[in-house]
Amino acid sequence: MAGDTLAGGRPTFGRRRFLGNAALAAGGALLTTAGRPVRAAYAAAAAPAGELRVSLPARIVGLDPMGTQAAEESVRVVSAHVFDTLVVHDPRTRGYRPALAVKWETPDPATWVFTLRPGVRFHDGGTLTARDVKASLERMVAQKGPFAPLWAAIGSVDAPADATVRIKTKTPVGTMLANLSLLSILPAASMNNPGFFNRPVGSGPFRIMSYRPDSELVLDANPSYWGPAPGVKTLRFRDIPEIAARVTALITGEIDLTYGLPPDQLATLRGNKDLHLQTTPSYRYYFIWMNIKRSPFTDKRVRQAMIYALDTRTMLTTLLKGIARPMTAPIPSTVFGYAPQRPYAYDPAKAKQLLAAAGHPGGLDTSMIWNPGSGPQDQEIAQALLSYWNAVGVRVKDAQAERAQWLDRLLKLDWDLDLQTNIVITGDADFVLRRLYTTQANRMGYSNPTVDRVLELAAESVDQNKRKVYYGQVCEILWDDAVGVYPFELLETYASRRTVRGFVPTPTFPTFMSVTVGR
Amino acid sequence: MSSYLGGRLVYALFVLWGSLTIVFVAVRIVPGDPAQMMIGASGTQQDVEALRHRLGLDRPLGAQYARYLAGAVRLDFGQSLRLEEPAVQAVGERLPATALLSGSAMVLAVAAGLPLGIAAAIRLRSAVDYLVSVASLLGQSVPNFWLGIMFILVFARWLRWLPSAGIGGVQHLVLPALTLALLLIGVLTRLVRSGLLEVAGEDYVRSAYAKGLTRRAVIARHAIPNVLIPVVTVVGLQLGNLLAGAVIVETVFAWPGAGRLLVDAIGNRDYPVVQVAVLCITAGFILINLLVDVSYAYLDPRIRYR
Repeated sequence: MAGDTLAGGRPTFGRRRFLGNAALAAGGALLTTAGRPVRAAYAAAAAPAGELRVSLPARIVGLDPMGTQAAEESVRVVSAHVFDTLVVHDPRTRGYRPALAVKWETPDPATWVFTLRPGVRFHDGGTLTARDVKASLERMVAQKGPFAPLWAAIGSVDAPADATVRIKTKTPVGTMLANLSLLSILPAASMNNPGFFNRPVGSGPFRIMSYRPDSELVLDANPSYWGPAPGVKTLRFRDIPEIAARVTALITGEIDLTYGLPPDQLATLRGNKDLHLQTTPSYRYYFIWMNIKRSPFTDKRVRQAMIYALDTRTMLTTLLKGIARPMTAPIPSTVFGYAPQRPYAYDPAKAKQLLAAAGHPGGLDTSMIWNPGSGPQDQEIAQALLSYWNAVGVRVKDAQAERAQWLDRLLKLDWDLDLQTNIVITGDADFVLRRLYTTQANRMGYSNPTVDRVLELAAESVDQNKRKVYYGQVCEILWDDAVGVYPFELLETYASRRTVRGFVPTPTFPTFMSVTVGR
Repeated sequence: MSSYLGGRLVYALFVLWGSLTIVFVAVRIVPGDPAQMMIGASGTQQDVEALRHRLGLDRPLGAQYARYLAGAVRLDFGQSLRLEEPAVQAVGERLPATALLSGSAMVLAVAAGLPLGIAAAIRLRSAVDYLVSVASLLGQSVPNFWLGIMFILVFARWLRWLPSAGIGGVQHLVLPALTLALLLIGVLTRLVRSGLLEVAGEDYVRSAYAKGLTRRAVIARHAIPNVLIPVVTVVGLQLGNLLAGAVIVETVFAWPGAGRLLVDAIGNRDYPVVQVAVLCITAGFILINLLVDVSYAYLDPRIRYR
């Protein structure tokens, strides 16, 4: 505009341009206030408000609920908020609640028919139908991630109607609901688009707003969610791996909630009046396997001696105060299929007796592999174990290794003793017992045809009461055969600021749908 | 100058190829298998074998190398085994954060090291001198993870002046950059101090004073320029230490950089990411050292490149 330039030839911000810009700004402001979703559209009770900032103990490695990292807890936590599943695991009843599926039936043991909830929309507006369920299940199997083996017995998936899913299996699958609780439903139309998992779309209570890898994932409440609206408008997952920094962030109020803290940090937080600690049993436990294919652990008496030599009660009160409790079966007491067994006493004299009877009166030399960082207080536990065993004449070499090397030796059965933690992800005994303790699994050399048969019966029975009985039998056999040492099941403590209300910890991973953040 | 640069470029390509090859072999020799790591402890041997085949890890080493090189010249460095995205994307997303951190640390180190070194040299054997010497020695000896955690406790938890972790505004950069810079500040301070003391006895300094220049002018116009060449050399060489320190500082302060990614990738045997990250570090090193060498011509007019 010629009138805007000065004599020097440089254009200036003339009056005309200024007025023009101002008009645009005013018009823009009017448009946005008109276009913003009106709050009154929500149910009269509590619209999502406020922001919850959570720091998970491990970072979010990706946003694909079916990829190779699908078993990572951080991925499962995020998936639970962004995607829906057909059923949701309820740790209190050890059963399953309807979610996307409102009812289901088994016309015959190898066929499951699910009726879907109507009116469910994905975050991008598309309607969720049986076709999406079919496509999601097929992708889960095709991706060959850690949960794909759960679907080994699947025959076919059909979508005979928009709201009906029929799953046929080759043999009956008793864990169908457990497996489905891990299957996130993705939109068939877009899930195979390149880059879909950079900002995936689901039907869950939250949608992904932004993701900066290794830094922060921001979710916001889904205004058209089929279920109860979440308590907060914004859910931020901030990645703070270093414990001191994470605890500091909680104390200063930079984050609102975290967990996975070692006992000494918990003690610091207990006295803080701005913070609230909640402890819950979990699906996680410590165990020590003995390589049953290798001498001397081929002999059951030696294995039993290893258990009698340990004073787990003292270890609990001195090393694991507040973060673990005694374990009374090969699986934690929180898991479906648990049956309590008679605990082994702390009896070093009996241990020495058993060793002598097995032909080792002078003790024996062996080694233990483990991966530092795999569980709370693992260094301390390993040292304690070694010294208890030493006291009965079993001299154990500490063969700790970084994860890749530990895993390599573990899977090749190139070890004598193995100390590690494990999580029963589905809360169902099948997840651990059938995958690890059958002859075919061959994870620690244990082979018992009775156990194999019972576990197969349990997996193929759709009668949950029968299954419970079967798993009880297996628990007893494994316990009596001293297949491993099961010293502790772990507790998890969640630390949150007092402004956080409505958070209910459960044995499984945490969810924040009903959490609100007050003043 | 251009033929000098041309020669350096050829040399750089050779170094990059060498580093690529060495890392390629090294990660594959070390025990531990990426397919196993990805599947974890819950899969079967068949699952692991199937995944190895899908990732092309069961091919002979030579074939894998040839395939990798063929991709590398097209700037295709493969898919991250763990992150399900191209390795270049995984590293590229995080490089700016590392560059920001390392760059800030270097700027901080020079901005603090020069004045402190000068102050110590001027007030030789005074309280200032001893204080600076002790401080620089501490800076070089204190482990940076401990220092980082101490900074978080003091400045974030107790004083509440600065945030405890993460990336964001300038306030998030202060503590990590300071932690990272402290070692280099220590090194530079001592270097500048001893350099100045050495130069102080030279003839041209005496002549400058004889001309009637103030001490400030002598230091600024005659002493410092002569000290700069060793200083710049050390700064360039210390880049390696800076990057190594960045890994630890990034973890302590939850800084989303490539250093953390590299350490995680090594632990997970994520070969493509390890290779790309090391390549970037090598390239950065080559570039910085080239800049250092070229800067000599500007710092010392007597040096000419042909």
